Amino acid sequence: MQVESNASKIRQTIMYLLLIACSALMVLPFLWMLSASVKLDKDVFSFPIDWIPAHPRWANYRDIWTTIPLGTFIRNTVKLTLIVTFLQLFTSSFAAYAFSKLHFRGRDTLFLGYVATIAMPWQVYMVPQFVMMSKMGLNNTHLAIILLQAFSAFGVFMMKQFYTSIPTELCEAARVDGMTEYGIYFKIMLPLSKPALSTLTIFTFVNTWNDFLGPYIYLTREKLKTIAIGLRMFIGQYSQEYGLIMAASVVTLVPVVVVFLSLQKYFVQGIANTGLKG
Amino acid sequence: MRCMKHFVVAALIATATMGGLLANGTKEGASSASAGKQTTLNWAVWDINSTAYYKPIIDAYEVKNPNVKINMVDLGSADFMTALQTQLASGSSEFDVVTIKDIPGYNNLVKKNMVVNLNDYIKKDGVDTNLYGGTAEQISVDGKLYALPFRSDFWVIFYNKALFDKAGVPYPTNDMTFEQYDALARKMTSGNGANKVYGAHYHTWRSTVQLFGILDGKHVITQPPYDYLKPYYEMVLSEQKDGICQNYATLKASSLHYSGQFQNGTVAMMNMGSWYIATLIQKIKNGEADAAKEWGIVKYPHAQGVAPGTTLGTITSLSISQGSKQKDAAWDFVKFVTSPECAAVIAKTGTIPAIMSDKVVDEISSMDGFPADANSKEALHVAKAYLEMPLHDKAGQIETVLNQYHDAIITGNISVDDGLKKMAEDVRKVLGQN
Amino acid sequence: MQAKQKAELRRHLVAYSFIAPNFIGFALFTLAPMVFAFILAFLDWDGSPYNPMKFVGLENFIRLSDDSQFAAAFKNTIIYTIATVPLTLVMALVIALLLNRKMRGRDFFRTVSFFPYVASMVAVTAVWNMLFNPGMGPINQFLASIGVQNPPGWSTDKDWAMATVVLFSVWKYMGYYMIIYLAGLQGVNTELYEAANLDGCNGWQRFWNVTLPQLSPTTFFILIMLVVQCFKVYDIVYMITQGGPGTATLVMVYDIYNKAFVNSTFGLASAEAMVLFLLVLAVTLIQFGVQKKQEV
Repeated sequence: MQVESNASKIRQTIMYLLLIACSALMVLPFLWMLSASVKLDKDVFSFPIDWIPAHPRWANYRDIWTTIPLGTFIRNTVKLTLIVTFLQLFTSSFAAYAFSKLHFRGRDTLFLGYVATIAMPWQVYMVPQFVMMSKMGLNNTHLAIILLQAFSAFGVFMMKQFYTSIPTELCEAARVDGMTEYGIYFKIMLPLSKPALSTLTIFTFVNTWNDFLGPYIYLTREKLKTIAIGLRMFIGQYSQEYGLIMAASVVTLVPVVVVFLSLQKYFVQGIANTGLKG
Repeated sequence: MRCMKHFVVAALIATATMGGLLANGTKEGASSASAGKQTTLNWAVWDINSTAYYKPIIDAYEVKNPNVKINMVDLGSADFMTALQTQLASGSSEFDVVTIKDIPGYNNLVKKNMVVNLNDYIKKDGVDTNLYGGTAEQISVDGKLYALPFRSDFWVIFYNKALFDKAGVPYPTNDMTFEQYDALARKMTSGNGANKVYGAHYHTWRSTVQLFGILDGKHVITQPPYDYLKPYYEMVLSEQKDGICQNYATLKASSLHYSGQFQNGTVAMMNMGSWYIATLIQKIKNGEADAAKEWGIVKYPHAQGVAPGTTLGTITSLSISQGSKQKDAAWDFVKFVTSPECAAVIAKTGTIPAIMSDKVVDEISSMDGFPADANSKEALHVAKAYLEMPLHDKAGQIETVLNQYHDAIITGNISVDDGLKKMAEDVRKVLGQN
Repeated sequence: MQAKQKAELRRHLVAYSFIAPNFIGFALFTLAPMVFAFILAFLDWDGSPYNPMKFVGLENFIRLSDDSQFAAAFKNTIIYTIATVPLTLVMALVIALLLNRKMRGRDFFRTVSFFPYVASMVAVTAVWNMLFNPGMGPINQFLASIGVQNPPGWSTDKDWAMATVVLFSVWKYMGYYMIIYLAGLQGVNTELYEAANLDGCNGWQRFWNVTLPQLSPTTFFILIMLVVQCFKVYDIVYMITQGGPGTATLVMVYDIYNKAFVNSTFGLASAEAMVLFLLVLAVTLIQFGVQKKQEV
């Protein structure tokens, strides 16, 4: 017995060492970013790395708010992200319910069509899409970005995977009780799918928050721009000011991490329930 | 029916938010129209915050034309021409005046009919295109001008006087052959680590190295073979190897900006376009370039038998968007920006206008912050400027190939001979696809 | 009979009403432009609203077959996918297995490994480019300090550029797939472990015979998503190598972008996109086939 517990202790230690090594690999760039964000441009590349600068230049964090309209960018991004995420969750889960629990003509074909479109790179239909949106007068409106991102095939695909794993008997029983399909969706499916919804939330949130190309093409007016595009233009104009770039990067990272942390409990559970039974 | 209520509420929220957004969008458009006689011209530009001359130009124009408001739209410098083409692809009236950043992009815009033929306007208002010192001819397509130049930059050598003084080496001159230039760069290289001084600096654009080759006037970059580029690639590669200049690979991987390199005082000489004059003066004023406070410019080095002052030219011009609903107003602005009057305004910011005259040279050389020595002033006189990319039907595709092989050769991933041979092969392929 | 038909119609209408909100938005704003892009593959168009589109049949595809940029991009995309998919898969699985145990700091480790995915591409590539800078980056300075004579040129060396891009991709996405694996592991039936223990299986055998088969639906899903993602790679390449040096990391979507926006040959770009689409479709269908067979 003694031998075995020793062996397991050693295993435990090795496991922790492995994990710590892995996490170090994951966070190192972020620590470096954090440390670079409070340095002078000329000190950013000094070696050996000065992880905690003796004289942190907090002014970098003040300067980024005045060098670029970061406040406006953040407001726009938050607005877009919230609306897109809400619409995405609602329409995806709504459609996914029909794809998984209702029978109707053309269901499988339609679903396959949805999934197939995931393989199409956006760069190909970007211009036709832009021309269409412009003709509708949507260029330089946030609505364009919302319409672009709120109805994705990925969301439907993911939610359908989840609903399929919920026993059909639940719905049948409710139907026998005289509940309408809408009732089943709202009263049974939605509460059950909280975890899946939080999963989709974080995916959509991250994507919209970080999307660059869409806003770059559709939002050319300064006051409509989002963080990702603002950050890119900032790097374009001030490519030598590493300290500021890193400070701006840190600021834009914070909200995403907060959302992730607050959803992470549901998140793991959520994908688990998606079942992914092929 | 509680569930139904939920649904209705959700749907209401969705439509309300969408409706709100729509209202937002339309409100914006309405506000500009409701102002009555006021005309607003949208002008596509890049890097508003780091460009000195936009504001003075606009101010000068708006003072003369109180009914017109110029609204700049920043498309960013990195992908400016592609972003512009995408914007114009919808045929919308979003833009009135567009800036032309490079020749391949201009060529595309013309082919796509996205910009207006200016010949009638030019004739009507009697604009003298001879004023532009030959640059107008270089961008005319079958005798038709789709743009008028307002900036005409040329390449010079910037040098750091303090570093030369410290090393006790005489300053570069306005008449240097490439051999003399190379020798000087080697002489000026010294030190290690924090004290390292590089004799020369080449930014990551192909123009900085590749285009030394076209200055003898015997070759055109759109026309293979490219054997004539060999000596210049060899010169720079050997400088890289000997630590005379920074490694292209290092610069590219970190997208290091040339201005930072020159301003931190580690570079003795740098070949760069004259647009950097204004930036450098500004940076010194802001106290961001103390290490390069004492600087000067001299003419580009030249090959044996070529006149000093022969250099590369980069022109920036203005066009009118085909989709614009106020073309006449747009033309009025274009005419102003490209006029001798505005040339003086542009020159005041240290930027080289397309219309050069002794007065403009005086204006620039007498501006606060411009080096006081006679050589720097003399360097503003150009004997002959060749465009970085001549107008060509396949300019975009050729540019892609030139960039790819420049990148491969200068990083040492392919030998100079093989690289130039393959470059010629690929360009021929592009040309053959006509 | 009448009543039954009516009920049937009603049932259908209800189903369509569920799909409608997403489908209408999707069809209008995504599907329609996509279909247009399909048609473009058979047209000659320069992307201008003022110039006509010309039907050219299969000419775009014929031109592709003799296009050196396309050839390089095709090859690089395949290499990138073949290198990235298994590496990401294995790394994701290993970390997921480690983080599936009850242990102290588990939530912390999980969060940390998801970090690279949530961070904006712009920000992390900026950090990555500085860290892996061949001249003054800390990685190479470290290698030099431990006596490595010729540290690799990473993104600027044709032999290392692809490896750098692959390495970055694995780093960026393994946390994401790790979470999905972790989720799959929650569904693994633990009773089978006990049976396996009784049979005297060691850890490795248990993993191989019990865990892995049960994870196969998850693996299948991850495989499909990974392959699609790899074939569509663009932004990573754009931010790290811009396709260089030379054409060493030119991938298909990057080439598609060049053809459409630099060369103004939208038909040709669409034709290449079609090739990419069919490639992804073929791989996905094969995966579906293999999956079906396993189930039988």
